[in-house]
Amino acid sequence: MITLYRLLALALFLFIWWAASFAVGPNLVPTPLSTASAALELMRDGKISEPLLSSLTIYFTGYLLAVIVGIPIGMLMGGIRDLGRTLDIYVSALMATPRVAFIPLIILFLGLGPEAKIAVVFLGAVIPILIGTYSGILNSDAELIEMARSMGATRSQIYWRIMLPGALGFVVMGLRIGATIGLINTVVAELYTAASGLGGLLALYGNTFQMARYFVVVLALALIGGLVSQGLRALEAWSGRWRVTAGN
Amino acid sequence: MSPAPSVIVSSVSKTFQRAKDLAPVEALKDVSLDLPANSFVTLLGPSGCGKTTLLRMINGLIQPDSGRVLVFGEPPKPGPRIGFVFQSFRLVPWLTVRNNVGFGLSLQGIDKAERNDRVEYYLKLVGLSRFADVYPHELSGGMKQRAALARALATEPEILLMDEPFASLDAQVRELMQMEMMRLWSARRGIVLFVTHSVDEAIIMADRIVLMGPRPGRIVETIEVPLPRPRWNDDIKMQRDYVELRQYLWNRIRDMVVRDPSSDFYVGET
Repeated sequence: MITLYRLLALALFLFIWWAASFAVGPNLVPTPLSTASAALELMRDGKISEPLLSSLTIYFTGYLLAVIVGIPIGMLMGGIRDLGRTLDIYVSALMATPRVAFIPLIILFLGLGPEAKIAVVFLGAVIPILIGTYSGILNSDAELIEMARSMGATRSQIYWRIMLPGALGFVVMGLRIGATIGLINTVVAELYTAASGLGGLLALYGNTFQMARYFVVVLALALIGGLVSQGLRALEAWSGRWRVTAGN
Repeated sequence: MSPAPSVIVSSVSKTFQRAKDLAPVEALKDVSLDLPANSFVTLLGPSGCGKTTLLRMINGLIQPDSGRVLVFGEPPKPGPRIGFVFQSFRLVPWLTVRNNVGFGLSLQGIDKAERNDRVEYYLKLVGLSRFADVYPHELSGGMKQRAALARALATEPEILLMDEPFASLDAQVRELMQMEMMRLWSARRGIVLFVTHSVDEAIIMADRIVLMGPRPGRIVETIEVPLPRPRWNDDIKMQRDYVELRQYLWNRIRDMVVRDPSSDFYVGET
């Protein structure tokens, strides 16, 4: 049923798009059809596959690094209370700072190549992942901890068996926010450092008024975001499977 | 020579500091209590009389400010020899019933084969074998508490501390759980220290009732329950001893509550 509704919503969206292109003229907003043909053309010429691959490489490399760094630091900060208390104000400050503000600094250190772009993605994604992990551990259930203590659990047993598994939902939430910010930062990095990848194509087609091609790039980015977010939603469902009644 | 009591609490006091502008709470003042082997003792009293504090102290979760607690001749340490059953069940939500029951055993590092055997045994004992592989949220309140009980029993403790274990269950389930508990206890004796607000529950379950009073938390009176066991066959609540004891305890508790300035039912000194 939901699938049907979703298809209807898609049809409605395409109609509005189509109507908009009529209203403002296809030079500014290309019709869905001409966008589709532009997509086919770009794929045939291989003009989009190389930038797509380059963007995906930057995105996933930066994101993976953010996961590898963010989760363990969050775990350490949650596990060692004094370390957490010492660092958490700085982490929050970093969360509140638009991390694209660091781009000039990153360029200074890493240049304009892929390393700088990966660093921008990493910086965007790592903070929410770190904070998700840390606050998940801080939010662990005091009653369960006391229960474990009453059974003679050691501090490390309490950490690994109660606090960390209890934090999983928060960790996954951090991963989702990190993935979103990571994708945004991928495009931002490609626009602000040496133009390349999908961000580079956006700039190229946008500045030269090739609107159909421009729209293809936008849709490609939406598709990446949608797929990654679906994947993480599956992870979230798995991590919360004990909440769902079997058979539902 | 009679054996020394397994649990000795001698002149224990405990005060909790609260936020700056609030007066500290004297949770326990000069409390002494012995629990002989294989005794079923209920701690009865109104809110704020330090029942839970005493339980946590016997478990070794908290230390007294003064006085001392000895369990089997030593200061208590939380672990498999002392089981704890909480009012709020405290099952680990992401573990199946089976793994919840085996939680204490896995903490001890008991190998999987033995752990499974014991878990099966205790699941069967509390009637939860069919639910071994479901998650706690799928269980009713009564079943959750059975699971928590099985978890506490699985480490085969010599002392079982129960903190208002049936207080959040509805009235019928509560009575059934009381019978269940007595059946379990008569099959496998040990020391049970059972905290309750309910006069009926205190009488039905106990060999001995320790009546506590609030602010400061203290022991007011200790009463041996003269009723014969088993108590779940005939309707014990009709017996004269039962009715008189109930009346007496109820009057004592009411007096304490109406004289407690911080209770809702305070009527002033009369």
